[in-house]
Amino acid sequence: MLEKAKVSFFLAGRSITRGNKGITIFTIFVLTLIFVQLVLFSSMLAGVTLKFNELMVDYQTGNVVIEPEEEQRYIEDASALQKKIESLPRVIGTTARLKTSGNFRYKEKEMGGTVYGIDPTDESFVTAIEDAIISGEFLSRPDRGEIILGREVSGGFGALMESRSLGGVEVGDTVELTIEGKTREFRVKGIYTTRYFMADASAYINRADLEEMLGVENQDLAQEIAVRTTAGTDEYETRMALLSLGVRENIRTWHEFAGILRLIENTLGLIRNIMNAIGLLIAFVIIFVVIYVNIVNKKRQIGVQKAIGIEQNVIVASFVLQAMLYAGTGVILGYCFMRFGLVPYTVAHPVDIPLGTMSLKLDDAEAINRAVLLFLASIVGSVIPAYKLAQKDLLELIWDK
Amino acid sequence: MENERENERENERENERENERENERENESKIQKNDIIIEGMDIVRTFRMGEVQVRALRGVSVNIRRGEFVAIMGPSGSGKTTLLNQLGILDTPNSGKVVIDGTDTSTLPEKEKGKFRLHNLGYVFQDYALLPELSAAENVYLSLMMQGKSKAEYESAAAEILTAVGLGDRLAQLPSKMSGGQQQRVSIARALAHSPIILFADEPCANLDSETSKEVLDLFKKFNTEYGQTIVMVTHEEWHAAYTDRVIKLKDGMLEQ
Ligand SMILES: Nc1ncnc2c1ncn2[C@@H]1O[C@H](COP(=O)(O)OP(=O)(O)OP(=O)(O)O)[C@@H](O)[C@H]1O
Ligand SMILES: [Mg+2]
Repeated sequence: MLEKAKVSFFLAGRSITRGNKGITIFTIFVLTLIFVQLVLFSSMLAGVTLKFNELMVDYQTGNVVIEPEEEQRYIEDASALQKKIESLPRVIGTTARLKTSGNFRYKEKEMGGTVYGIDPTDESFVTAIEDAIISGEFLSRPDRGEIILGREVSGGFGALMESRSLGGVEVGDTVELTIEGKTREFRVKGIYTTRYFMADASAYINRADLEEMLGVENQDLAQEIAVRTTAGTDEYETRMALLSLGVRENIRTWHEFAGILRLIENTLGLIRNIMNAIGLLIAFVIIFVVIYVNIVNKKRQIGVQKAIGIEQNVIVASFVLQAMLYAGTGVILGYCFMRFGLVPYTVAHPVDIPLGTMSLKLDDAEAINRAVLLFLASIVGSVIPAYKLAQKDLLELIWDK
Repeated sequence: MENERENERENERENERENERENERENESKIQKNDIIIEGMDIVRTFRMGEVQVRALRGVSVNIRRGEFVAIMGPSGSGKTTLLNQLGILDTPNSGKVVIDGTDTSTLPEKEKGKFRLHNLGYVFQDYALLPELSAAENVYLSLMMQGKSKAEYESAAAEILTAVGLGDRLAQLPSKMSGGQQQRVSIARALAHSPIILFADEPCANLDSETSKEVLDLFKKFNTEYGQTIVMVTHEEWHAAYTDRVIKLKDGMLEQ
């Protein structure tokens, strides 16, 4: 058994070192490209997911969100609860929000969106909306009748869905906001963008203004309290800490809000799988063709090897080993290209996509999975032609032109 | 070339172990000189070419004795190659038997035939049939490697046999960098490396000029007389017959009486 393997390795090795270098380089190059193609889409998906999560945590949920108890519309005694939570050592800040959907109107145009009623100072401890202002200023505590619009609401500033927006509202303009049948005018104080269109289709007003419109003034109610913890704090630990503080409201980590994303991910995952299947098929065909051409050129040699008593399996194995070596080299080169080339490049220079900007993220488990699949494709792609030919009658192999 | 052979003979004389082996083989061959080593019985081989049946061998019986150097001769198309392929179990006859050293090869399955060839038979082809990606030594020791010999064993065996055919200084050379005569000598070394019971050669000199042919035939003769190597060789040339002990004449797929 061992000597057979040894002969296979020997023949494969000599074939690579002394065979046609051009074919070897070409084959490895193609396999490298195929591997890159196989991991690229996954990396993009992972990159988008990462970005999406970051945006969500940074602009919306913080690390943990507290929601009303079951069957309740509001969290009561919100400020007391905030104080309690802020006493935890790892908590940087909390923000209690009212949240509702409203209708914006400016000149002839109208659109719906989410309206948050916030305490601007608290909000800035939790999210980065203040830093996302691209025109005007963020709210401050005493501001009443002022509003901050996302660029998808205001329009302009490179909004992606310009036609749906109010079509070019600027700082200082007045927009009408209708909530539960009540309409009020607001002066636009600032316009923000997170570069993520779903988060940019919202507006922020002072909590007092929204309380008034909802008719819940001075009751210290909130619909959600977003909590920001120090970097690296595990969300589940935070949840445990909150539970042991006696928080009876619903505690959800940001992961639980990534649900829609998971749906998108699953849909894209399907596309990814189809693309992988196509990539593998191409890999298989290319390996098959390359090995086939290589083998047909060696018909005579195979015949001679059989004549002198080299076993058929050994001959087949030598070709399979060769293909595996090509695939292995392709995988390593492709991995290095991604890990040390393309991924760091997109991290340094994020790519603009409709969701915002994106960098690739290479997941090693996925890469290994693709490497294994490529390996299998190379084995099957080489076994078939090698076996077919090695099985032929040796005199035919030697004398057929 | 003359000098090369001189040197080679000297080397051999110096090599005591080689001499021992030689003596052993010679004694052996003397004792068994008259053993029948290949028994071909009523071999029939027909080829189908579309509708046409080509009867390449129509019932050929031959016996070859241990230590014999036999030539197979006959006109083109008379079935020489076909007969050699049957005797060397590179092919299977439609009927008849080939018994080699007591083994009835017609009953062996394909895989066993391969093993039998690996351990017991050696081949020299007209166009050398060396593996172009292997050096001279690698071509020679491939079958030894396949037999499971150790690296030290097969490397020294290859060096030894290549030295014996006068290529001791070209172990690492690739076939493409060698002349026809040198390639044929590598091919002879390959055929002999594992000390086969029989060496088969199909027109080994067909691609060589007469000077080089003479060298190759001298080499055969040397292995035949010095080591008692049994050789079956197909040839066209009358003058080659002088090197051999006996000629088997074929005509139209039958022995010429
Ligand atoms: N594989 C084959 N398929 C069909 N016919 C074949 C095959 N091999 C040999 N023949 C035919 O069998 C006959 C004998 O062929 P063979 O090669 O044995 O002759 P040969 O004596 O070696 O001739 P040459 O001196 O030309 O080499 C020829 O008529 C040849 O055409
Ligand atoms: Mg012939």
